[in-house]
Amino acid sequence: MSAGAASRPRPAVHVGRLETLRHRPLLVAAGGLVALGAVVVAGVALGNVALPVGDTIGILARHLLGWPVTATWPASAETIVFDLRLPRVLTAVVVGAGLAVAGTTFQGLLRNPLADPYVLGTASGAALGAALAVLIPVRIALLGFGLLHLFAFVGALLAVAAVWRLSRQTSLSSLTALLLTGYAVGSLLAAGLSVAMYASGAQLRQIVFYLLGGFSGASWPQLAAATPLVVVGSLLILARARSLNALLLGEEAAANLGIAVRRERAILLALAALVTAAAVAVSGLVGFVGLVVPHLVRLLVGPNARVVLPLSAIVGAAFLALADLVARIPGELPVGVVTAIVGAPFFLLILRRARAGYEV
Amino acid sequence: MAIGAISLAGCTAAAAPTPTPTPTPAPTAAPTPTLAPAEFPATLVDDEGTSVTITAQPQRIVSLSPANTETVFALGAGARLVGGTDADDFPAEAKALPDVATYQGVVVEQLVNLEPDLVLAAGNGFNPPADIARIRDLGIPVVVLYAEDVPGVLHDIELIGDAIGESRAAERMAATMAARIETVSSATSALGSRPRTFYELGDQPEIYGPADGSFVADMVSLAGGDPITTGSTTAYSISLERLVTADPEVIVLGDANYGATPESLAARPGWTGMTAVKTGAVRPVDDVIVTRPGPRLADGLAALALAIHPDLVLP
Amino acid sequence: MRDGYELSGVSLTYGRRTVLDGLDLHIGAGECVAVLGPNGAGKSTLLRVLTGHAPERRGAVHLDGIPLEEYSRETLARRVAVVPGEASLPFAARVEEVVALGRVPHEDPLRGMRAADHAAVAAAIERVGIADLVGRDARRLSLGERQLVVLAMALAQAPRILILDEPTVHLDLRHQVDVMELLVQLNSRDGVGVVAVLHDLSLAAHFFPRLILLDRGRIVADGAPDEVLSPERIRAVYGVDPALVRR
Repeated sequence: MSAGAASRPRPAVHVGRLETLRHRPLLVAAGGLVALGAVVVAGVALGNVALPVGDTIGILARHLLGWPVTATWPASAETIVFDLRLPRVLTAVVVGAGLAVAGTTFQGLLRNPLADPYVLGTASGAALGAALAVLIPVRIALLGFGLLHLFAFVGALLAVAAVWRLSRQTSLSSLTALLLTGYAVGSLLAAGLSVAMYASGAQLRQIVFYLLGGFSGASWPQLAAATPLVVVGSLLILARARSLNALLLGEEAAANLGIAVRRERAILLALAALVTAAAVAVSGLVGFVGLVVPHLVRLLVGPNARVVLPLSAIVGAAFLALADLVARIPGELPVGVVTAIVGAPFFLLILRRARAGYEV
Repeated sequence: MAIGAISLAGCTAAAAPTPTPTPTPAPTAAPTPTLAPAEFPATLVDDEGTSVTITAQPQRIVSLSPANTETVFALGAGARLVGGTDADDFPAEAKALPDVATYQGVVVEQLVNLEPDLVLAAGNGFNPPADIARIRDLGIPVVVLYAEDVPGVLHDIELIGDAIGESRAAERMAATMAARIETVSSATSALGSRPRTFYELGDQPEIYGPADGSFVADMVSLAGGDPITTGSTTAYSISLERLVTADPEVIVLGDANYGATPESLAARPGWTGMTAVKTGAVRPVDDVIVTRPGPRLADGLAALALAIHPDLVLP
Repeated sequence: MRDGYELSGVSLTYGRRTVLDGLDLHIGAGECVAVLGPNGAGKSTLLRVLTGHAPERRGAVHLDGIPLEEYSRETLARRVAVVPGEASLPFAARVEEVVALGRVPHEDPLRGMRAADHAAVAAAIERVGIADLVGRDARRLSLGERQLVVLAMALAQAPRILILDEPTVHLDLRHQVDVMELLVQLNSRDGVGVVAVLHDLSLAAHFFPRLILLDRGRIVADGAPDEVLSPERIRAVYGVDPALVRR
């Protein structure tokens, strides 16, 4: 033993301490699920129109559980609960989960705590797609989908694909290339959006509605289309959590840990972009969730992607459903405004109380 | 296309002689012939070309634009209105209606809660198309009205009449309005002068005026003015340079309701060189009756004509 | 075929520059070797060849008798662990979570770490002597402590061979010595092979039984420190006064 090594006390490793840390994610998950359940129930029970709680429960029992409850409520109440509120709350849940998962993935892939699902051009691509859809004077509505949803979805994916292709041609390190190309492509698309908005005349409002994000147009067909994409995409990302973890120390370290970095990066990017595109197609551009929720979760349970991904999904879902509820009670505030107003102070509070070892 | 619409619309009066200055950009729907009164179930084609089926005479009507609200009241069916917008201000009873629509959009939940059997919406983005689609998805019939020019407004009044089962009253109202419009139009053309007229819609942050071929431009034409337009069919802003070059002989303050006055206009830098300012031909007008595509449009036209030709005498 | 690394005729050129020139080299699995040479000699490139990150190289490389290309990335990661010279973390991570990354090539991709993996992490932490750092944010450690943490991470990979690229560059003397001693122990006591690129000749000479001296892509000397670091050779390769090298 040299003098140097002996100068530091060497107690036995506290394996017990590692064990207790492992239970914490379960606590957070349980808490998150409880919160999610509460928010979903509140979201269906509350709204612009005051409905008696008994009616709400009866309607849900009838439609979801098939109980033969006699209808003591007007048909309009059924429409409100089942056709308006329930799909809306569930859409917020799905979009919140998707954005949080995508945000976690992008942050891990780009090794950048400021990354969010929109950083590689998805937002600009979706926005431009939506704007073009609004400008085209053709009205297509198929099963509750408009041209707008389709164009936004495709626009988001095309933007990321363009960023990926273009970034491969630069000689910069791949992460820098991705980020800078994302910025450039995003700016270009945003310029296109500005032109479209300028040329839109009376249609401008529709484009702005889309940009602000919201769930007022939520419907069962949209939910049915977005949910599989978000769920399957998220599960596939979760299956590759190992690669995200390995990337924590950088590309080279990940390669030395046995990860095929190029391939994993492409796959994870594509999956995260798919989830994001599905989310923005139905909800417009809702900010804050994809950036903040992963950090919040990491503060509680550490950076292990296997834990952060599912917990972010739960927290993101609860958060966005709550934000939508708060947005629609006073009368349709844009959801993005509420996520920022609700989320920012909460996040600052968490930051202040962060214990050593988990500061952002 | 506008001429075609007029000639097909059966009972309406003879078409106004002045043509619109530039062709309208989007196609108008084929107008329906007026129905025998109170004949339901009825299938109408609204201004967006959508076929709407109304199974019985509507008893719970919701209007999503102030113009539609006014029209329903004017046709004597105000008692059957159960919901309106927060901008409904005429007649006075309209203000008491529950508001289900604002500038931000339609609060679909509240609309559904009113259990309407007919919704009268406004097109061209006035009510968000997504909201209209949503309401239709819930099985509620929605008739979308959008008038690109003055004859279109008359058509819409008749369309609303058909939808709510007041076709006779609508026919009569449209005929009266058409006659009044014709009177005003002839009176102004008899004066022999068509001054270059700029109808100001706003001045902050840019100067806003009628787009080419827009409804307001059509009104100015009918009122005996030569409308100065923005040069584009979609943009409502006009540069000061363009306006100065066009040199309006008359400026009508459509934003008088929002505080614009002839004095404040004359004080704006760069405006003093215009003929209208030099001769003091800057006159306010009640923007609501001039631009709202509803029953008071003929009054609005008369007011506009008087603003352009103050020495006009209307019978 | 012998165990460990066997290189025959390995060459690598970038454009017109020859970085490695016909290397023939054998490093046994249990050896403790330091790779030395001036800047541009090809030391880091040699490491890249050993870790399988130089697909453009010519010549043959075998590891334990099997051509390097035939190893899957995962299998290679279970045999050879690389200790990064510098490591940065975008998010806060506890020391034990960083060490746990070493289990990535071993852990079940879907189910994650199990008891055996946790035990390996604990063992690595204990072996490197950083048990007192458990629970701390790895980003807030001193450079010396961080180096020990990534060393523990590499150990958690349970490799047969440890490869290090200038592990003592930012460290003060005490930590340099700590790391060197640990490497020597890992080799002599635990049988882990060590291949380390070092820039400090004195440190290398003091701790490593075998030195490989590279110059302009060629091995100019290979053997015990006394033989390799003769005064003439130092003057020839480094161009400095041999008296500067403490022995």
